[in-house]
Amino acid sequence: MLDGGGGTVKRALPYLFAVLLGVVVALAIVVPRLRPHEFVGTVLDDPEPAPALTLTAAGGEQVSLDDFTGKAVLLYFGYTSCPDVCPTTLAALADALDELGSRRDEVQVVMVTVDPARDTPELLASYVAHFDPSFIGLGGTAEEIATAASAYGIYYQKGEGTVETGYEVDHTAQVMLIDPQGRYREVLPFGLDGAAIAGDVAEYL
Amino acid sequence: MNQRRGTRTWMAGTVAAVLLLAACGSEGGLTIDDTWGRTSPSAAANGAFYMTIGNDTGQADVLESVSTDACGTVELHQTTMVDDVMRMSPVEGGIEIPAHGEAVLEPGGFHVMCLDKQVAFDEGVTVDLTLHFAVAGDRTVEAEIRSE
Repeated sequence: MLDGGGGTVKRALPYLFAVLLGVVVALAIVVPRLRPHEFVGTVLDDPEPAPALTLTAAGGEQVSLDDFTGKAVLLYFGYTSCPDVCPTTLAALADALDELGSRRDEVQVVMVTVDPARDTPELLASYVAHFDPSFIGLGGTAEEIATAASAYGIYYQKGEGTVETGYEVDHTAQVMLIDPQGRYREVLPFGLDGAAIAGDVAEYL
Repeated sequence: MNQRRGTRTWMAGTVAAVLLLAACGSEGGLTIDDTWGRTSPSAAANGAFYMTIGNDTGQADVLESVSTDACGTVELHQTTMVDDVMRMSPVEGGIEIPAHGEAVLEPGGFHVMCLDKQVAFDEGVTVDLTLHFAVAGDRTVEAEIRSE
């Protein structure tokens, strides 16, 4: 009796293993999909409407953030004479659009200058187009820029020098992520690659 | 027979000489790798170069300055981040390459700042940079302009 029972269990073992293996494989496929997306940016707890912003694009056109409702906006404050951080960030944002593939049209990248004395809207347009033709550069008067920066908690400070001698501008290097409904959702730190940025942006599209 | 032995000796000598030269080459002390500059729009007045400098010797060296025809002025800069604010400042006293160590110049850190670009920083362009070291003296390397 006991021997016979042992034999049944032994015969059933391969099937048991097969079933277990099947369960493990199924879990391995399903679990990663169930896991929530891990955001690379700092997600704001209470998404509120993004602070209004109206500045000047090339040709004198007034552009507001409201114009992009329906698209996610990646908003960055920088300047064209910035050799290191700004091109690194804009190149990463261009890579992010490439990563998004066909959904790239649902995203608008906007760069606002923190150096209105040197960056005219025309210069900005030419600068940002180098990274991606869809990018928009915005300028304005010193007062308009100060108001826009302060609304987003962006610090900037012009270094020593004049327009003739050149100078640097220290500035907050983060990118603000605004969802297609116009709500301010995330702060992306400097140094993320395009794939990481695209991963967060896709969560709002 | 004699002739064949002569050929062999000659070949062995050549191989030895080549090996010796190769050994001398790698004993140069400093290695400068992955020298590149980021493509930048013509609208951008300035650019930046990056590289990794290795030091095989037991003596620390210092990259004191860089010169090139591709820029109006060249400065060694460091980007530092304090509370998410990026601050660029000239590097006082140059960039040290520790003995048996390396110095990495990369985006968001040390970089060779190129003010008043004199050439187009377009993909595939190459730029000669002369690096001035305190110990190793001058070394000229070629930087490739690329997007990342």
